[in-house]
Amino acid sequence: MPRLMDMGLDKLNSMLLEMATLSENAVDASIEAYSKGGTGPEVREWSRRLQTLHRQVSDLSMELIARFQPVASDLRFIKACFEISYGFYRFGRYALDIAEVLDIFGDLSKCDQKAVVETARNTQKMIRMSVDSFARRDVALARRIPKLDDVVDDSYRQNLRTVLDQKKDIRCALSAGLILRYLERIADHATYIGESVDYIVTGVEPTH
Amino acid sequence: MDRYTVRRLKDRLFTLLGAACVVIAVIPLGSILLEVIVKGAPALSWAFLTTSSLPSPTSPGGIGPAIQGTLVMVGLTSLFGIPIGVMSGIYLAEYGNNRYADAMRLFSDVLTEFPSIIAGITIYLVFVLVFGYSPLAGALALSFILIPIVSRTTEESIKLVPNSIREGSSALGIRKWRATVSIVLRAARSGLITGSLLAVARVAGETAPLLFTAFGDTYYLHSLNGPAGSLTMYIFTDWKQPYSGYQQAAWGAALVLILIVLAINIAVRLASWERRMGRR
Amino acid sequence: MTTSILDSSAMKTLEVDNGDLRPMQGQSSEKIRTVSLSAWYNGKQALNEVSLGIASNAVTAIIGPSGCGKSTYVRCLNRMHELVPGATTSGQVFLDDENIYAKDVDPVMIRRRVGMVFQKPNPFPTMSIYDNVAAGLKLTGMKRGRNLDEIVRVSLEQAGLWEEVRDDLDKPGTSISGGQQQRLCIARAIALEPEVIMMDEPCSALDPAATAKIEGLMITLKTLYTVVVVTHNMQQASRVADYTAFMYLGKLIEYDETARIFENPQQELTERYITGKFG
Repeated sequence: MPRLMDMGLDKLNSMLLEMATLSENAVDASIEAYSKGGTGPEVREWSRRLQTLHRQVSDLSMELIARFQPVASDLRFIKACFEISYGFYRFGRYALDIAEVLDIFGDLSKCDQKAVVETARNTQKMIRMSVDSFARRDVALARRIPKLDDVVDDSYRQNLRTVLDQKKDIRCALSAGLILRYLERIADHATYIGESVDYIVTGVEPTH
Repeated sequence: MDRYTVRRLKDRLFTLLGAACVVIAVIPLGSILLEVIVKGAPALSWAFLTTSSLPSPTSPGGIGPAIQGTLVMVGLTSLFGIPIGVMSGIYLAEYGNNRYADAMRLFSDVLTEFPSIIAGITIYLVFVLVFGYSPLAGALALSFILIPIVSRTTEESIKLVPNSIREGSSALGIRKWRATVSIVLRAARSGLITGSLLAVARVAGETAPLLFTAFGDTYYLHSLNGPAGSLTMYIFTDWKQPYSGYQQAAWGAALVLILIVLAINIAVRLASWERRMGRR
Repeated sequence: MTTSILDSSAMKTLEVDNGDLRPMQGQSSEKIRTVSLSAWYNGKQALNEVSLGIASNAVTAIIGPSGCGKSTYVRCLNRMHELVPGATTSGQVFLDDENIYAKDVDPVMIRRRVGMVFQKPNPFPTMSIYDNVAAGLKLTGMKRGRNLDEIVRVSLEQAGLWEEVRDDLDKPGTSISGGQQQRLCIARAIALEPEVIMMDEPCSALDPAATAKIEGLMITLKTLYTVVVVTHNMQQASRVADYTAFMYLGKLIEYDETARIFENPQQELTERYITGKFG
């Protein structure tokens, strides 16, 4: 039996899916720009769009709560949507931060990119997992994300040390350090998104 | 002519028809009242209302005993008939959800439709043959008519009290009989009073049952034994005498009777008007 | 674990024991406990083995769609169900550990301990406000040796009506507004000093302002009495109740702290009902 609130919930869902795609693309584009030496011009625009969408999600959530007094799974969904949309917004923001590093430091394609690329690969995998688990409300998938987060955390710490030992090219070292930091934060947010998906389905409170 | 005008004309026609019917219905009542007032008023005087002299061909005499008889017998009937009728009505309304009560109700309804003369004959056979004519016998016969009416109207009034009141009182842990007496009865009070007064007005106008039980008399009562007169019987015996004195007496008695019945009916109207105005 | 924002001095967790939901030992006690309570109207079953423990000094709401048996349930708790011709029950109901359906128990005495307020306010029409409040005491022979004036005042105060009617105690009970009449009925029930106050959809016939007053009352009353509210308005249950029981087709489906029921119900049926997917 369709309810009045369902329209609003569907809109919330589709806005989040749009944010998912946008944020994933933004991160991919910024990493690509790092490897190939570009500047990722579209990243700025996508990041702005993500900020707007996040605000719209927040407004819509408030409206649904005020008007429909949602309870149970509906209420959890709305709360989680707000948290998840923040996560996607952060993805875009960090992608923007990475693009700005490229802006400042210029072409880094000659640097030793191994550390960053490897970490980026895992981070992008985590983004993919978080997006999929939200789209499909897949709790099992969501619960596998934290394990990758541990991997990313370790690789971040290790690579940071290695990178700082490269005294020769300060440009490469600093930029790699910054980008690794952003990737680590992205990975954290992907974990939070997974926890929010768990909360929607099972009601288990997120730890963050 | 368009449909709207036709409809309006039809509406007007029916309204007029309705009004005409009301007038036609009221005419007999109006003409009776008029006739009685016109013919009976000249007979009224203090002497007429209080003495017991017999009418003569030229003077109406006094109907004092007849008035006294009516008042005494109606009074007696009310005295024991109303309590019995009310208690019967309470029983039927509050506890009467069974076959025994249904039978009682049927009986009661039949009695209200009974030809009242049969009540008179019954009391004659059962009481008068043993104890003789008396106002008591008359009252007994009248109670045949009064009790079923009071019982029925009491039952209806009590049933009109909304069930939420009874629920509320049982939720407070008030016992049923207590709730019936203190709450339900009080709420049905005006209906009860109205019903009883109407029954009294009805029996005040009865003639046939009194003919066989009180028999009629022209003297003031000394005791509850012996025959007694009433306004109704007085009219019955005197209206066909060929002298104007007798006839005047009959008209006068009729006027007094109508005034008594009218007074009771007005009292009923006042009681229900008061209730509607929101006073307790 | 969510904690209710309403500081209920009662319970923190519930424990399921032999399918008989009751609060954990050592914490707030139960005022009323039903064990496999079933009820019928002329053979048609209205309640099906409902086992439930109602906590003392707390507000318990019973929700569910029309015909789920919630009104029948509370009417079994004060033995008013049996006043309907053809109504029968089975199972046990314990009020403070005594079975109210035991052979030698007088139902009228139970009703003085377990009071009830109805959907449509029903003050006695021929009585003044004062007499209405005193009616329970006067007509049950309980007024001996008591200061009626004092009791009437205290009852009206507890019902939040005293200030509004203190100068009009002689006015008829029906001369006040609907919301005030309902509070009068609550005062009337309180005057008997019951242990439990049950309310069967008490706000259905009232406007939002009057409803808000009565909901506020429920929360203050729970410090002195055990309050049970039957309501078809889920938001009301979520606002006032410490515990909520969800019934469907005569059965108890779920019973838990209100915050948990409305945030994360355990039963699918509960979830579907409170999110409006049926009912």
